[in-house]
Amino acid sequence: MLVPMAKVEIIGHRDRLDDTLQLLHRLGTMQLLDVTSTPGVRLPPLAIDEKQLRELEELRYLRARLDAILRMVPMPEAGLPSHVDRTDLRDLRAELEELGPTLEQLTQRLDDLRAEQQALPRYVASLRRLLPLVPELTHLSGYETAALLIESRHAGVLGDLNAEMVSAAGNLFEIITAQVDPDTIGAILVFPRETADKVYALLGRVQVTRVRLPERFEGIPFRQALASMERRIGAVPAELDLVQRAINDLVEPRRGWWATRSFVDARLDQLEAVRSIGTTRHVFVAVGWVPAPDLPALRSALEADVGPQVVMDQIAVEENEEPPVLLRNPSAARPFEFFVRLLSLPAPGTLDPTRLMFVFLPLFFGMMLGDIAYGLIVLALSLWAGRRFGARSPAMHDLSRVLAYSSIWSVIWGVIYGEFLGSLGHQVFGLMPIWINREEAVQPLLLFALAVGAIHMTLGLLLGIWAAARSRKRSEFIERTGKLATLVGLFLLAGTASGQLPAGVLTPAVATIVLGLVGLMYVQGLLGLLLGPLEMISTVGNVLSYLRLAAIGLASVYLARVANELGAAGPIWVGVIVASLIHALNLALGTFSPTIQALRLHYVEFFGTFYESGGRAFRPFGTPTATSSRTPSA
Amino acid sequence: MELGLIAIGAGLAVGLGAIATGIAQARIGSAGIGAIVEKPELLGRVILLIALPETLVILGFAVAAMVIMLLPS
Repeated sequence: MLVPMAKVEIIGHRDRLDDTLQLLHRLGTMQLLDVTSTPGVRLPPLAIDEKQLRELEELRYLRARLDAILRMVPMPEAGLPSHVDRTDLRDLRAELEELGPTLEQLTQRLDDLRAEQQALPRYVASLRRLLPLVPELTHLSGYETAALLIESRHAGVLGDLNAEMVSAAGNLFEIITAQVDPDTIGAILVFPRETADKVYALLGRVQVTRVRLPERFEGIPFRQALASMERRIGAVPAELDLVQRAINDLVEPRRGWWATRSFVDARLDQLEAVRSIGTTRHVFVAVGWVPAPDLPALRSALEADVGPQVVMDQIAVEENEEPPVLLRNPSAARPFEFFVRLLSLPAPGTLDPTRLMFVFLPLFFGMMLGDIAYGLIVLALSLWAGRRFGARSPAMHDLSRVLAYSSIWSVIWGVIYGEFLGSLGHQVFGLMPIWINREEAVQPLLLFALAVGAIHMTLGLLLGIWAAARSRKRSEFIERTGKLATLVGLFLLAGTASGQLPAGVLTPAVATIVLGLVGLMYVQGLLGLLLGPLEMISTVGNVLSYLRLAAIGLASVYLARVANELGAAGPIWVGVIVASLIHALNLALGTFSPTIQALRLHYVEFFGTFYESGGRAFRPFGTPTATSSRTPSA
Repeated sequence: MELGLIAIGAGLAVGLGAIATGIAQARIGSAGIGAIVEKPELLGRVILLIALPETLVILGFAVAAMVIMLLPS
């Protein structure tokens, strides 16, 4: 449900502002409004004084330095020590300034070593390929060597290179080439040192890859370079370990800084909130939204912690002012709030569809995937995913819970349809459907899907009519009643046409449709003559849309059957592999598709009947768990 | 002969609906991804928009089911 919001005004002596802000930040139940722009309260904002300004700057500096260092500090696992106060900050700056440069150096060294660890094996590989070509004469003084790699398909470059070298170095050079692997030709170029500039310029122009060694290995003969590189590769891990240990030794005792960071954050929030507080010479005024149920707790906390110099009053909401929206539901239904938010929050004072989604979304999912084995697998996977990722990502937690509910319904529907890996359950241990076998009884299944659609739409329309009546929206009331009337009329008509209802129902059915149609036309004005019938058709289309509950399920049943029959076609071990692969594919499709389809039935068909979106989220000042819920990236 | 024609008709009803859905979803999908890149909070609405044309293939399925179940009798 949507939590009703109260607009409150907190007035107090300016001396108590700091305590008040700290309390509000700790409780995290009030969204502060900017008093300078709040209608009804016009006050100049509180100017930040010199002392606060200095504190603000100091805190910002500390936060930046802390962030840089905390990237290397592991988060303490057992929550944060919650008590930090301002005295802890006094020595922090000095400590940060002392630690910062040392840590920077060490991390730089770590990065360099890692880069070296990555790059050296590649050089070694290139050199190894070229080594057989390197003549001993490269020890000759006054000569330089360059190693080149050329793609085999560009072998023609070598001829050009030879011609260009003649003009650059006369006859005093040598090119030795050989195929080093099927795609690459290696070449060693030996030339007089005094022509080096010309030759390197030339190499830049020609399409060859020159093997450039890292700086420390340049100018050494290749054989020696290779040997020292190999020694270096052996030495790097130990050095890495040493540097890493030095970093750990420095940061390990600083785990407490995570708590300090939260404290700095909270204090910064409080100081920055000062700008939205109004003031007179002696008094401060804070205005904001508080969830109405939290009002008594806030009042008593203010009395107990801040004292009688601060009072809180509920004030009137201006006419065109919209309170923020906060969803609050029982813990079982709460994961479904994620899907409501995914679309957009409901407008203030309207219906929160979370609990309805909690009932229908898993039910629809189960109707589509109805299979005992698939349901159990999805249940196990979602429980695992919830445990593995749920703590870190709230979205993952919600999704896994939703999937777990859905898979339970999937097992229930699996029992109703008598499906275990499609028809395998029936073939192997004689599992019988309680109600229908989907593979054979397609018609009842389709009719059932339509009936579910009609019930769901009717429920939505009734809610819509109730909501429109409550908020006195006349045209919406008439439109929704008209839709409901045409829907009921059409079903009565279908009932008489198929002989399920007595013929006497025909006249009332037609009358209901006509009445509904008139209602639909009336609210649209003159255009209604055209739009009214269209609305009626689209309402029928919305009910037909629920056929997907049957259709998606049938697709999954037939794919399971394909898996089983292909599996039975060949030798047993091939069969098991083929069947498992197709079942896995079916499971992947069968989890994704029903989720999307069930969501769509809610977003498009169901919400279309009553949902009003457009709420702004409630953003409380501070958070109740400021010291424990901050993540490293926050 | 007649049974074959019924089967072809049912196949066409679903198949053409599916092609139309595919064409519509391709356009909505690419535009939707573009929108999400700029405003990630639109994800929910884009899913909704992408799912909208599926009605076409569902209606095709309804027609196919009717053709198969009602015509032979």
